[in-house]
Amino acid sequence: MRPVDEPLYWHAANQSLAHDGGMEIYLPIAGLSVHWLAVLGMGASVGFLAGMFGVGGGFLLTPLLIFYGIPAEVAVATTASHLTASSMAGAVAHWRRRVIDFRMAGVMLAGGVGGSALGVQLVALLRRVGQADLVVSVGYVLLLGSIGTLMLNESLRALRLAKTDARPVAMERHHWIHALPVKMRFYTSRLYVSAIPALALGAVVGILSSVLGVGGGFILVPAMIYLLRMPPNVVVGTSLVQIVTITATTTVFQSISNYTVDAMLALFLVLGGVVGAQYGVRVAARMQGEILRLMFAILILAVGARLFYGLVITPREIYAITAGTP
Amino acid sequence: MKWLLAFLLASLAIPALAEDLVSGLSQDRIQITSNYHGTDMVVFGAIELGESHGAQAAERDVVVVVRGPAANIAVRRKARVVGVWLNRDSIRLYGMPGYYYVASNRPLAAIARAATLARYQLGILTLKPKGESTRLPRKGEPFRLAAIRIREHRGLYAEAPGRVEFLSAELFRVHVPIPASAPRGEYNVNVYLVRDGTVVSAQTTPLFVDQVGLERQLFNFAHDRPLGYGLATAIMAILTGWASSFLFRRQG
Repeated sequence: MRPVDEPLYWHAANQSLAHDGGMEIYLPIAGLSVHWLAVLGMGASVGFLAGMFGVGGGFLLTPLLIFYGIPAEVAVATTASHLTASSMAGAVAHWRRRVIDFRMAGVMLAGGVGGSALGVQLVALLRRVGQADLVVSVGYVLLLGSIGTLMLNESLRALRLAKTDARPVAMERHHWIHALPVKMRFYTSRLYVSAIPALALGAVVGILSSVLGVGGGFILVPAMIYLLRMPPNVVVGTSLVQIVTITATTTVFQSISNYTVDAMLALFLVLGGVVGAQYGVRVAARMQGEILRLMFAILILAVGARLFYGLVITPREIYAITAGTP
Repeated sequence: MKWLLAFLLASLAIPALAEDLVSGLSQDRIQITSNYHGTDMVVFGAIELGESHGAQAAERDVVVVVRGPAANIAVRRKARVVGVWLNRDSIRLYGMPGYYYVASNRPLAAIARAATLARYQLGILTLKPKGESTRLPRKGEPFRLAAIRIREHRGLYAEAPGRVEFLSAELFRVHVPIPASAPRGEYNVNVYLVRDGTVVSAQTTPLFVDQVGLERQLFNFAHDRPLGYGLATAIMAILTGWASSFLFRRQG
């Protein structure tokens, strides 16, 4: 087996340190100077984790950028680009195997465009009243807290079951989905179901993408399996296509309404992310799935706890200024 | 240096010559490249001492003020609500300078009385907005002081007592730092000559600060053509993702 290389950005670092050229890059929209290696490294480590755990990683990258000092609105809007790139890489791989339901992705995108447009207006409103940071932080604490707890429970149970070699029992069926109108035929998924749940699912993910800067894969994948009852082999590819299109749409909407997309930051995050993801996938191939999920759950809870801590400690400066307001 | 300054002064030919004060700038247009730590500008000038002032040479003071373009700012104050810190009260300060730097040859408090300093807005704590969104001065004051404190912390407002150097009894010079975060626009450089606590002469020179470089172009692109900017960013991400899957497949 091929040995695992150290991440590519490490080599780049040594070269640049030798030359000692321009180390700082200025992020024009965030309005601050950062070390280019720091942002490239953040993109790469989140990409690595994302590749390792098979997720987009938006819910790790956005908090990380906020901890680093990037304004919350810019972090949320710019993370979408990182997700576009890393999901695109995954989507291409699934497309080669022809396991994508483009019709389903299209229906969800229609819902997603509406959700994203709504979410972007919500962000604009929150910024006007000065509560964007708060809503992002509280949203993340709730999101990471609940997902982390669910995953922790699930992985601990799976670890116990793995020892006794038992399998979880199948869940009960949701027949109410089949009672909904506007039925459509989805050939790749071999389904004849109402378009309404897919539209609604797309809309929810669109709102999450624009307000919190997440791709929504953690909601899409289980919902597509248990709610829409899509065959598991098309679920991942289809959700990746959905994430690519919705994050790209959100990037455009945020640019138009909020001017919060930082292209310079996006470039470094994207470059780091796509490289990191490749190595993450290779590492994950050699680890036990249950252990991987347990580690991931702990990571999610730790990030959530750090955000919660940021909300409750007494800030050093209780005043904040926003320039250029009307 | 002295002869150089004298030469520059002679060649400047500024018509706005005050009674006994003349000053100039090393450049009237500054271009800041965002990814460096700002730049430096030199304000220099000369005082005409005249026959009668010879004995009082030690009494004169020079104060140099650089003011950036005025803009409105919102100041918000956090408060603890059910254990969580969130923005509660906020007020708007209309027309606060985006940049303010005051240099003098000795501490401002020693140069003139507080009322005089306040009238000419000499000193960062004397900075007042042209208006506030509140009518209650008692409510607005902590917000004004907080805005000044935050901008001082960011290097946008600064006091530099003792930074005006006298090269001779007549010639003075001061280095003014312009940080990378300084706003672009029309600046004013005011030079005040103070004798015995009274401003006897003043001169204003305009200065234009512009931000240049790739980062500035991106900023302009984002604000002038947001649709194109958003599309370009999204396409960049899609192409990079696509290219990476292609590259890594060939390698692996």
